[in-house]
Amino acid sequence: MSDVNTPSDGEPDQDHDHAHHDHDHEGPGYATPQAAIEEGGREELAYVMSLYVGTDVDAPDFVAVVDLDPDSDTHGEILDQVELPNRGDELHHFGWNACSSSCHVEGLERRHLIVPGQRSSRIHVIDAKDRRNPELVEVIEPEEVFEHDLSAPHTVHCIPDGEILISMLGDADGELPGGFLELNDDFEIEGRWEPPGEVEMNYDYWYQPRHNVMVSSEWAAPKTYYPGFDIEDVEAGNYGQKIHFWDWEEGTVEQTIDLGEEGMIPLEVRFLHTPESTHGFVGAALSSNIFHFWWDDEGDEYRAEKVIDFESREHDDWDMPVPALPTDILISMDDRYLFGSNWLHGEVWMYDVSDPANPRRADSLSVGGTFGEVQEVQGRELAAGPQMIQLSLDGERLYWTTSLFSSWDNQFYPEEGERGSVMLKADVDPRKGTLELDEDFLVDWGECPAGPARAHEIRWPDGDCTSDVWQ
Amino acid sequence: MARYEVALDWVGGPSRTIDVDENETVLEASQRTGRSLPYGCRTGACGTCVGRLLAIDGTAADDDARDEEPTNVADAFAYRRTPKALKSRHRDDGYVLLCIAAPRTDCRIAVGSRVQAELVDNPWK
Repeated sequence: MSDVNTPSDGEPDQDHDHAHHDHDHEGPGYATPQAAIEEGGREELAYVMSLYVGTDVDAPDFVAVVDLDPDSDTHGEILDQVELPNRGDELHHFGWNACSSSCHVEGLERRHLIVPGQRSSRIHVIDAKDRRNPELVEVIEPEEVFEHDLSAPHTVHCIPDGEILISMLGDADGELPGGFLELNDDFEIEGRWEPPGEVEMNYDYWYQPRHNVMVSSEWAAPKTYYPGFDIEDVEAGNYGQKIHFWDWEEGTVEQTIDLGEEGMIPLEVRFLHTPESTHGFVGAALSSNIFHFWWDDEGDEYRAEKVIDFESREHDDWDMPVPALPTDILISMDDRYLFGSNWLHGEVWMYDVSDPANPRRADSLSVGGTFGEVQEVQGRELAAGPQMIQLSLDGERLYWTTSLFSSWDNQFYPEEGERGSVMLKADVDPRKGTLELDEDFLVDWGECPAGPARAHEIRWPDGDCTSDVWQ
Repeated sequence: MARYEVALDWVGGPSRTIDVDENETVLEASQRTGRSLPYGCRTGACGTCVGRLLAIDGTAADDDARDEEPTNVADAFAYRRTPKALKSRHRDDGYVLLCIAAPRTDCRIAVGSRVQAELVDNPWK
């Protein structure tokens, strides 16, 4: 099957405004995913969301700058902490003001990190021009966000012309529906991006501008997931199981696919990096499945099919079989491998997705979590399973942190709050399709000056496998 | 303006008593007086600030009593907004969202991050 689909009728316009800049790269980012691999260089720094929400440590959350340079004396250490002005944010996901999709916009720089507080609904802008010493420069207060009847900011992507879109999981009261908030290139709220009511639930999203399509997924109302995971909410249908395909230019939902009982809580959603492709994957956390979706030319619609199952496992001390809970997925920059984390089981895994309809399990690593074979690294006991993952641009190093969400951590891994998170790394051999834990690498948030902190999403300074999109 | 004495008992930690105005939330008062309680949304949606009411108006604080006859939150606090993060079972059990609750009497509350962790169990364990 060709990876290049050219849907018709309301879908992807292949001539969509990219021909003139394909060979005329002037703005931020890389001309193509392959250029990112070739020109990006090895990651030397990571920005990592770090938080105290959910503990008794009386300190604000912070953005950690982590040294990843193996030749540095401070390799594996937190070099800098960008402290935020308020407590209570719960830093979670974040993104750049510009990515490779803005490659045609001369003068725009991938320089500012947009850092939302998941609980506070406060949005911070950090200037990372000095990559080692980023600085907080703007704060959008929650009241300004609530004016648009939105709360609980989640995924940040740039819109190709310098604007920024943030998925918002709830209304101003923490109930449904969620929506999208748009910021302009001065980091001011432009308004609500989509006509209100296009979706009820919201979570992650990704877009393929060349095909004029965006896909979004569903968690739940903030008031449902904020306090922790309550099985009553599953029974009451308060958690999501749908993905939505949008007309990217109009901001309207064109198609919704209900993934059914095997698609409970579809979280991270990724299109392949090549801008020609309409293939992508979404991980259904609660039902422990991975779905493949793609544009079906003949049916003139998107389709989704379950392609990976993770079986629940029996544990002597647990009453019920423990689900894997795959909470994060990513696609390597060359679109060859799908990586993910099973937070409850304690596993990172990689599948060969050269044929996206038929993923082939390449390797996995059992570390941390409820069943992990490795339960400590360098004598440091692991408190939870692998959670947010990030991959080097060349696909040879997979990094992860261990916190999911403060209240969910407290429920499933209470030690996470007491010991703090770690960041670990596996060496990946993309040629052989193998993963190997690098026991020499450990970043420990348990040793932060104010007390043990949690660590969540990871970003590279110049674009990574979960933030870059191409036109 | 009426002021009330609110005793805060950190679960697994210290206790202290603060004065809280009737127009002030317990969270605001805790911030004003130095050591803040945990919090998140400040709108009653997230539950990070949750406390458990132990006793009202000088009645003996007896943690063991809570299973038998929980103290009624409505007797002790006025909410500024609806406490969305609490289900009816939580409200019945004496849980109170301190970011939106202003006192109406002297009282004693269990506070701190461990109270939040009481709201939901691990369903598989």
